[in-house]
Formats: sequence, C-alpha cells, structure tokens
Amino acid sequence: MKTNVFSRYETGAFFDEMFDRGDDRLIRPHYQKILERISALNPLEYEEKRSQAVSSFLEHGVTFTVYGDSEGAERIFPFDLIPRVIPGNEWSVIERGLKQRILALNLFLNDIYHQGRILQEGVIPREIVETCPYFRKEIIGFHVPKDIYIHVCGSDLIRDEKGTYMVLEDNGRCPSGVSYVLENRDIMKRAFPRTYQSMGVRSVEAYPELLLKTLEYLSPRQSQKPVCVLLTPGVYNSAYFEHTFLARQMGIEIVEGRDLIAIDGFVYMRTTQGLVQVDVIYRRLDDDFIDPSFFRKDSVLGVPGLMDSYLKGNVALANGVGTGLADDKVTYAYVPDMIRFYLGQDPILQSVPTYLCWRDEDRKFVLENLANLVVKPANESGGYGMLIGSESTKAECNEFKKRINENPREYIAQPIISLSRHPTFCNDELAGRHIDLRPFILYGSDLEVVPGGLTRVALKKDSLVVNSSQGGGSKDTWVLKS
Amino acid sequence: MLSRVADNFYWMSRYIERAESLTRMVEVNQSSSLDCVEERLDEFWDPVLQAICASETFKESGKKDLVQFLFFSSGYSYSVKNCLAYARENARMVRDQLSMEMWLELNNIYLFFQSGDAEKAFLQDPQIFFQKVIRFSLVFQGLSGATIPHDEGWHFMALGTFLERADQTSRMLDTLTFQSHIPTRVDLLAVLRSCSARSAFKRQYRGELSMRNVANFLLFSQDFPRSIRFSIRCLDENLHAISGVPSGNFSNEAERLIGSSLAMVNFTDINAVLSIGLHQTIDDLQKKLMKVGQCIFETYVLLPFEIKSVNQSLTAHAQAQQQ
Repeated sequence: MKTNVFSRYETGAFFDEMFDRGDDRLIRPHYQKILERISALNPLEYEEKRSQAVSSFLEHGVTFTVYGDSEGAERIFPFDLIPRVIPGNEWSVIERGLKQRILALNLFLNDIYHQGRILQEGVIPREIVETCPYFRKEIIGFHVPKDIYIHVCGSDLIRDEKGTYMVLEDNGRCPSGVSYVLENRDIMKRAFPRTYQSMGVRSVEAYPELLLKTLEYLSPRQSQKPVCVLLTPGVYNSAYFEHTFLARQMGIEIVEGRDLIAIDGFVYMRTTQGLVQVDVIYRRLDDDFIDPSFFRKDSVLGVPGLMDSYLKGNVALANGVGTGLADDKVTYAYVPDMIRFYLGQDPILQSVPTYLCWRDEDRKFVLENLANLVVKPANESGGYGMLIGSESTKAECNEFKKRINENPREYIAQPIISLSRHPTFCNDELAGRHIDLRPFILYGSDLEVVPGGLTRVALKKDSLVVNSSQGGGSKDTWVLKS
Repeated sequence: MLSRVADNFYWMSRYIERAESLTRMVEVNQSSSLDCVEERLDEFWDPVLQAICASETFKESGKKDLVQFLFFSSGYSYSVKNCLAYARENARMVRDQLSMEMWLELNNIYLFFQSGDAEKAFLQDPQIFFQKVIRFSLVFQGLSGATIPHDEGWHFMALGTFLERADQTSRMLDTLTFQSHIPTRVDLLAVLRSCSARSAFKRQYRGELSMRNVANFLLFSQDFPRSIRFSIRCLDENLHAISGVPSGNFSNEAERLIGSSLAMVNFTDINAVLSIGLHQTIDDLQKKLMKVGQCIFETYVLLPFEIKSVNQSLTAHAQAQQQ
C-alpha cells in the first residue's frame, strides 16, 4: 500500500465505520471509492477543499449561537470532509425501524390524550406519564388535525461496538439540524463531484418541499392554498439560522410572536397590506412559550390566544402540543412496549438498555454501579447535565447520587456505549472519532425519512458527546442507492 | 410583507444613512476647524451640535473630545457606532432577504466598530477612517440597488434612506441659521461639502457662493440626489409604489403629507422662503417629515394591538390594495 493519509490510521478497539477490525484492516466495500479519492489528495489540495468549505459556511452564515457565551457569539458548526457512508440495504432497515417508531409514538400520544388504554392495561404506569413536565393535561380529549402529533421527528441513532444500530433518544418537539444536512451536501457535491456521482448517493434536497407538503396537509382550510408560517423565538435563538434557511427554502414567512395576533379564535399575521389569516404554524418554540395566556405567563415570545385558536381547530401547529412526553427519557424506555402494544410488532431498531431511577431496584443498581454508567436527566437536551461515570471524579459522582436520591423520577442511567468511530481529519491527520446519526422523519399524508441525516462527530479525542453545544462537529451522510 | 420586516428594512437603511451623514459632517467640520483658533473651537462646533440636537447630551456627558463623542459614545444614542449597531440588528432580523454582499459589508463595519479597531484607526488617521465609514454606506446603497429585487421591502428601505437624507440635508442647511455671524465663505463651503454638493453646486452656479444660492440649491435642486426636493420626490414615488395608488392621489396620511410637501418644494421659490425665514421653513419641513415617518409606521406597521374583532375594513382593505 502506498503511503497516504490512511497509512497511520488506527481503528482502536471500536467499531470503525470504514475499516473492518483486524490486522489487515479491510476496507468496507461501500467506502472504497471515497477512500481512493481522499487518499489521492495531497495535503495542499485537502487544505484547499477544507478552506473552501469553511468560507462557504461563513458566507452562507451557517452559524449557531452558544448559550451561556457572554458574547452571544455566532459560530460555525465544524465540518469534516470525509463523508459517512451507509449502504442501501442497511438503510432500508433503519428506515423501516424509524417509521415503525414514529407511528408507535403517535399512537401513544393519541392514546394518552384520549382513552389512555396503555395506562389502563398497565403497560406504562400512569404516574410516569402524569409526572412528565411535558405532559399537557390541557389537551386531553382534543382532536389534533389528522390525529398526528409529531410531524417532524429527529431520532438519534448510534452504533455499538458490534456495529448494531440503536436508538438513543427521540426528539419530538423541535428537532434541529436539518439545515446542516442540506448545506453539508451542497459543499460535498462541490468538493467531490465525480466521486459523489459515481457512488450513487441518494439525494436529500427534497426535504423543504416535503416539509411544506407535510405542513399544508394539516390546514383547516383545504379550499384554498394554505398559509403556512414558521414561528421562531427570534434572532438570539441558537437555531435562528436554520429557521431563516427553512423558511426561505419553503418560500414561507418567518414570523416572531409579535407578528401574529389571535382574534376571536383565528390567528392572523400583521402585514403591510393588513391582516392575513394563518392556517398552519411550524413552530420552533416549545409548548411553554407559545401562548402566555395559556402556558407560561412570562413568555414574551408567544401569541396570546394562540391555544384558543388551536383548540378550536382554526389553526394547526406542527409539532402538536404535548409531544414533549415522547422525548422524556423515561418514556423512551417504554417505546419497545408501545410498538408491541399498538402495532403488534417486534421493534426493528433496538433501544439502549435503560435503568429508571424511580424503580427501587434500578436505582439501587445505578447507585452501586455509577462508574460504569451514563446518567442523564430525563428531560434535558443538548447534552447538558449528564454524567459519564467512567470519566467523572468522586465528588461529581457523589453530587449525582444526591440528585438521584432527591429526584429519582428525573434521572435515568444507561450502560456506557462505545459509539462507533469514523476517520475524521483532526489537526492535519486522520483519527477515529465517535459519531452518531440524526435522521429526520416527516409524518404527513405519508411517512418520509430523509435518506441520510446529520452525522454528528465528537471532535475531542475519546469524547462520546457529539452535541454541537459540547464541541461536536458534523459530516455529510451518504446513503447509497444500492 | 410582514409589517415587522418592513419596519426592519426602513430602520436599517435609515440608520446607515444617518451614520454616513454624521460622518461626512464631522469630516468636513473637523478640517474647517483647523483654521479656527483653539479658544473659539466651542463656538465653532456649536451650530453643528444645535442642528443635530446633541448640545445637551454632549454637555451632560462631560466628555472633552466632541468628535470621539459623536463617533464612539455609547451614551449618545445616535453616535455612529450606535447607528451601525442598530442597523445591523435590524438587518439580522431580515437577513434572509438581504443579499450576501450586503450582509457582509454591514457585518464587517459593525465588527470593525465593536472590536475597537475603529477607534484605533480614528486616532491614527481620521481622514482614512472617515472615508472608510462613508465608503461603507455608499457601497451598501449601491449593493442594495444592484443585488436584491426592487420589491416592497426595497421600497421600505428607500423610504428610510430618503427620509433620513431629507432630514439631514435640512439640518446641514440649518447650521447656517445658527451662526452668530453672517455665514462666511468657509461656512457655506462646509455646508455644501457636508452634503457632498460642492462640485455639483459649482457646476450650477459657477462659484457664486452666497447664502441664497446655497439654500436654493440644497432645497430646490431638481436633480441633485441630496437636495430636499429630490428626496421628497423619491419618498413620494416609493410610497405610491407600496400602495399602488397613482401619484397625485393619496390613500393614507403619509402619502397626503408627502404630496403636500412635494407641491411645496415644487412650486415655491427661494424668494418666498427667504421672506418667511430660512430657519422657519426648515423647521416646518422637518416637523412634516417627522410626521410622515410616524404615519408610515401607523399605516404599515402598527396594527392596533388591542383589536377586539376583525372588522371588515381591515381585511377588505388588504384585498383592495393588492389588486
């Protein structure tokens, strides 16, 4: 083998996406062409492509805001030029598994907010549902449009040391990241046009169109072209770039709460030509903030009277209200049971074994084995507030023990999974870095899974945390046609 | 378009125009002030401060260096630094509708001021620094003409620019009426240069530098883009482009006021102005323009927050205007 960037690459004791384990380090066949292309790059060419990518992100303003940073600085989401490749047959299993999952989650939400069969039959304890901070008793009995609660779902997938795909969590409120999927693809097509074409990669560009169709499907006024808007918390939100990006791609207005007004059970936007009735709101704002007259009184982001119009069926919200229940990591542990209960099927995708601290046995186990577990708050996102036992000091562990004992409902624990690794450029050389995958699923008149998704990569050596807020970066994800 | 977005466009361009005017005025007066003995410096700057209504804030601030105050003070809300920050804030909210080139220009000048590099550059070589700020504004305006569609949002930008420009030109002219002496050649030239009107003026009047000619030019020039008449005509055109109502008619108070101002500058001459008094005329005009700004806001942005029911007129009106 000729010397190239891969010569000194080591897979380590992990599942490596590109190379089979073993001394001969066999390349997995679906990576053959891109490996050849990247091996053929000299450092100068590589640097040129990399700086093209960076300046393209800057120019496009593909940035996010980090909370807690006093400057409120906008940063680029670091991007790695080596794509993650998923063969077609592997993807079709993932796709079926995700569809099954979002169906079950929707049936679950519909059940919980109506008869509650799953509670009556004792599959899920009632107490768990009612103590979830995102459970909305206010919408019990309300018929959401088309009986769909989660229209846009982002479920995070990981692979363990054997390469088995597992669902790590579901994001049924306002999952973000899809703008990076589209921007990353643009950059990769420019960087490796011929390799891209010859590998037969499935396209992702239809996403904005599909999203718009998903939204329009919900409109209470089917007689005319629905007026859809994207409701953003505003310029200081970490995902503001994505909001403007999606609105522009769909050709709909991006509005803030103050641009909308609810009158007599209808929602209007204030335009220079007068009030225009709004049919569907793609809101990128949590339940708590959408209507200060209904939920949090101190919210200045929402629209007073919005919930009244929603409950009267005059305006549709995507995602629906109350979907946070599906994001709860305690609920997560029950998803396989939901799939069996509602669909009578076995789960296609595995879940990560989860210990629920509110169960006495589980808690005992967790407290005794903290060093080998990851402890997560049940209702946080962005990788905040978690403890990785093996990397924590005694004091940190004790602090978590205290918290778990004080509030067992709010903590879950999972075994530490060595996420699969992927060759990634780090300081001019290739190294293995842990990755996950966030695919995006749309549920409208059909179920659609975008082929690919956002591959997030933990750029810090040995880190298992891939969140952008915690120093993660991203890769393009290439799903092959065959 | 969304009312808020229209408002953001309007203020973005208004603040940029304001930053440019202020810079030009300081640039010109600073070079004239070099001809002035040091004890009389306060006296020299006084008319300028009065015309931009900043005398009191400056005195209260206790700052020594007037120029630094006008550029970098965070206490003076219309310092150039603040104007650029407001402009950028407004731009950020309508970023999806600006061209990349426009955003980059504005973002760069904003970062230049925020980082402190601007203050360093100013101390090192004020002339180069002034030119950089003015050049930014001109490039930005050129880009907005050349890189985005001239749609409704663009018309709102034009309203902001020309309303501010009419106001600033009137203020420059007004500095002459605040002088404690009869304006000298130096004063008259400073006013012309503050409006970047020196060569245009010279071409028209062949060096007949008099108060009368300068006022005539800045008020009534048909074709000089910083004259008050020119600005008002642009305001009229853009207002009617937004409403779709033909010029000469009006469908809201802003259009009526601008129409009447346009008639005034079209059909009055300098003799009439001088007999009423230049300051009086300018003062009336400024009040009217301020009212126009308010009316634009009331007509297009401020839908009453306390609407109890959608009465027919609100939505029907919208349809009538769209046709």
